[in-house]
Amino acid sequence: MAGILKLALVFLKIGVVFFGGGYVLIPLLHRIMVDQLHWLTLKEFLDGVALSQLTPGPLAMLATFAGYKMAGFPGALVATLCIFFPGTLLMLFISSRYQRFRRVDAVNHFLDGILPAVVGLVFAAAFTLGRTSLASARDFLLLGVGFLVLQFTAIAPMAVILGAAVVGLLLQFS
Amino acid sequence: MEKDIKRVSLPEIAATFFLIGATGFGGGMAIVALIERRCVQEKKWLGYDEFMHGLAFGQILGPFSLNTSIFVGYYLRGTLGGIMAAAAFIAPSFLLVSALSLLYFRFHEVAELKSALLGSNPIVIALIVVAGIGMARRKAAGLESATVAAIAFAASALFGVSALTVLVLAGCWGLWKGWRKGRLS
Repeated sequence: MAGILKLALVFLKIGVVFFGGGYVLIPLLHRIMVDQLHWLTLKEFLDGVALSQLTPGPLAMLATFAGYKMAGFPGALVATLCIFFPGTLLMLFISSRYQRFRRVDAVNHFLDGILPAVVGLVFAAAFTLGRTSLASARDFLLLGVGFLVLQFTAIAPMAVILGAAVVGLLLQFS
Repeated sequence: MEKDIKRVSLPEIAATFFLIGATGFGGGMAIVALIERRCVQEKKWLGYDEFMHGLAFGQILGPFSLNTSIFVGYYLRGTLGGIMAAAAFIAPSFLLVSALSLLYFRFHEVAELKSALLGSNPIVIALIVVAGIGMARRKAAGLESATVAAIAFAASALFGVSALTVLVLAGCWGLWKGWRKGRLS
C-alpha cells in the first residue's frame, strides 16, 4: 500500500536525522508532521507529545501516535519500527566495534576521559527535568522521600515509581 | 584481555527490558537510571565503565534510552541480545501508546494520566540523582575528574551545549591525559 510505504520512508528519514536523542525530536517532528506534510493538526501534535510523555518509554513513541493517525494499527507499527531502525542498526554496529577497539590504547584513553563527563550529563538531566517539573513543596517532599528510599533501601525503583504514580492518581494531583 | 561476561539467557534479557520499558516513566535519563540499577547494581551484568561507555555512545543517534538497552543486550549476547533488548524495551510503550492513540482519535481526549505523572516525576528525578551519585563515587572521584564532571554538568545544564559535543571534548581530554602519562613514564 502506497500510504504505508510513504509512512515508512518518512519515519526512516526522521530516524536517520535524529541526532542527540529526546528533545531534538519535538521541533523536528513538528516541522515535518504539521508544517510540511499536514499529517497532524497542531492540537493533535501537542496532544501526541503529552501522550508520549505521560506513558513510559522514550519520547520517540510520538511516531506510534502519528502512525496510528495515518493508517491505524499497521501504521503505528510501521512508523515505530522505522523511526527506531537506523539508530538501532548504528548502535549494534558501535557495540560490536566497542569490544574490539577497547584493546587500542588511544581508544581507552578517549573512553576514560568520557566517564566523568557522563557523570556531569546525568546530573544535568536531573537538573533540567527538575527545573521544569518541581514546582511546589509537595514535589520537593516527594523528591526527598524518593531519594531516601532509593538510596538507602533495596525496594525496586519500579515499585517506587508506580507507587508514586498511584498516589498522584488517588490524591488527584493537579 | 577479555573480561568474563556473564552468561545470561535471551528470555531473561527480554523479561528484564520488558519490565524496564513498562515502568520507564520520564523518558531518557530516567530510563537509563533504571537500567543502571537493574543491570549494573542488582544483576551485575556489566561494570560501571562499560555501562557508562554505552550511555555515552547512546547519545549519538536516536533515543539514548533505547540505545543503552541495545548496548547492554549486545554486550551480553551479541546481535541477537541487542535486538531482543530493543524489542522487549519498546513493546510495552508501543502497546500502551497504540491503545491510547485509538482512544484519542476516537474521542479526542488525552487520557487522565496527568495526576499520575505529577506523582511520579519527582521520584524519577530522585532516581536519576541516586544513579548519578553512584557513578560519581566510582568514576569522578579525584579532583581532576570531579572538575571535568562539574564542567560537563554546567555546559549541558546551564549553557545548553549538546551532549555529543561535551563527550567528544571530554574524550580529547582523556587522550591528552594518556599522552601526558605516556611521556612521563
